[in-house]
Amino acid sequence: MNLNNLKNIVLRSIAKAFPYFSIAILIISAAFSGIIVFTIVAEGIPHLKEALHSEEVLFSLRTSLFTTSISTIICLLIAIPSAYALARTKFPFCRIISLIVELPLSLPNLVLGLSLLLIFSSNAGKLLRDMGFRVIFDIRGIIVAQVAVILPFVTKLIKTEFSSIDIRMEFIAGTLGASKCMQFLTISLPLSTNAIISAAILAWSRALGEFGAALMLVGVTRMKTETLPSSIYLGISTGSNETAMATAVILLTVSCCSFVATNLLNKKSLSRSEVR
Amino acid sequence: MDNVIPAVKAKHLSVKCGDFSLKNINLSVMQNEIFAILGKTGSGKTVFLECLAGFYLNLGGEMQLFGNNAAGIALEDRSVGFVYQDYGLFPHLNVFKNIAYGLKMHHVPKAEIKQKVKTMAEMLSISHILSCYPATLSGGEKQRTALARALIMQPKLLLLDEPFSALDPSTKNNMYNELLRLHKKFGCTTIFVTHDFKEAQSLAGRIGILLDGKLTAVVKSDELFSENMNYTSEICNFLGIS
Repeated sequence: MNLNNLKNIVLRSIAKAFPYFSIAILIISAAFSGIIVFTIVAEGIPHLKEALHSEEVLFSLRTSLFTTSISTIICLLIAIPSAYALARTKFPFCRIISLIVELPLSLPNLVLGLSLLLIFSSNAGKLLRDMGFRVIFDIRGIIVAQVAVILPFVTKLIKTEFSSIDIRMEFIAGTLGASKCMQFLTISLPLSTNAIISAAILAWSRALGEFGAALMLVGVTRMKTETLPSSIYLGISTGSNETAMATAVILLTVSCCSFVATNLLNKKSLSRSEVR
Repeated sequence: MDNVIPAVKAKHLSVKCGDFSLKNINLSVMQNEIFAILGKTGSGKTVFLECLAGFYLNLGGEMQLFGNNAAGIALEDRSVGFVYQDYGLFPHLNVFKNIAYGLKMHHVPKAEIKQKVKTMAEMLSISHILSCYPATLSGGEKQRTALARALIMQPKLLLLDEPFSALDPSTKNNMYNELLRLHKKFGCTTIFVTHDFKEAQSLAGRIGILLDGKLTAVVKSDELFSENMNYTSEICNFLGIS
């Protein structure tokens, strides 16, 4: 058996074994994530009932759900037109603006929060506060922090989707009499609906778990600026690990629901395209 | 008197599209004419059609549509019907809504839309698929739907990008007759792109040969393979004649 034959045999064996190899890696990866999730569930479930009766935990749950929903809506209202502009229009310094929009993605949330704190502590921030728009140590600050964290993420996701739509669709719509606005509303937006909804759900989950930026901007005050992540932090820092883990189970459950919703949406979209 | 004004008049028309450019195109297509553009893949046929329709804004030279400077006419006001090689049907709309799209953009009343779509569908024998979505249609059905969508707007200029390339020979022959019938009925100037010599000769009155972004010849279709045409060697190679 010469070297070439041996080489071919080895390469063929590797090619055959690759699907099993990738499954094995997947199992190891799932085991790693699974241990983490299992630990949270195992430590948190025994104390869940107590946590669900805790006024602070319920307050943090309500605050999280409220701020996360508002910040997601604000992000979508900003991200959709921004993403369309980045994907479809040519204007001066377009690439630089695109870079600036996505840059916060690479920053730690603590740094984002610190930056927001400096902005809202400045004279402009004080002016806003005097006009009645309080951000620092206020629930509005949580929304601002969440928007700062998730906006680049949502914009990037939606921009990728708009860019993937064949521009000739809009062109044909134009030849049929649609203005630029109607091309967007009747062609680009409907074709991106599932992707936008997925982006919204993912953004919502990410905002739910946001902690660093909010910590810097609004601090963590019981029954005032307390979200689920900050409730967990308070629990750990005061030695109530059990309550912290129980709160983590609540956070995990809410996140889980959003991922299930995304997967159901993706399945529905796939089956529709197969049937049609 | 109106017939003297060409439907399309291109003068030193050029456009840069990535690494490719159309260079110095000079062409007049008369109203009600069927004009074919022949060329190899990558010669710029689709780009040329898109220039006529208004896809590109950075055109060099001059282009007139029915006597008016095209630069001043917005895409939605050019009265151009466009059918791509892959038909370009809107995947999220069924056949009815695809055909009705242009009428809806022009705020035509619903009852009138319904009537017009029904009439057009009957004309093109696609009444039975009005509730179907593009992904479930055959090539011929998509073709007819795309044509219906373009023709229902009664465009003054119809641009077809290799409209028959994806069809089997039998369906192709049917569609040739269909196009001639529709051209007679609607009377719109038709420019279509193909790499099929026979197709160009059967349907068009005149043929333009586009090679490497340049319009190298414009001939009458029955003279395409005529001996005394004084073609360049490039054109002879393309046509496969010595």
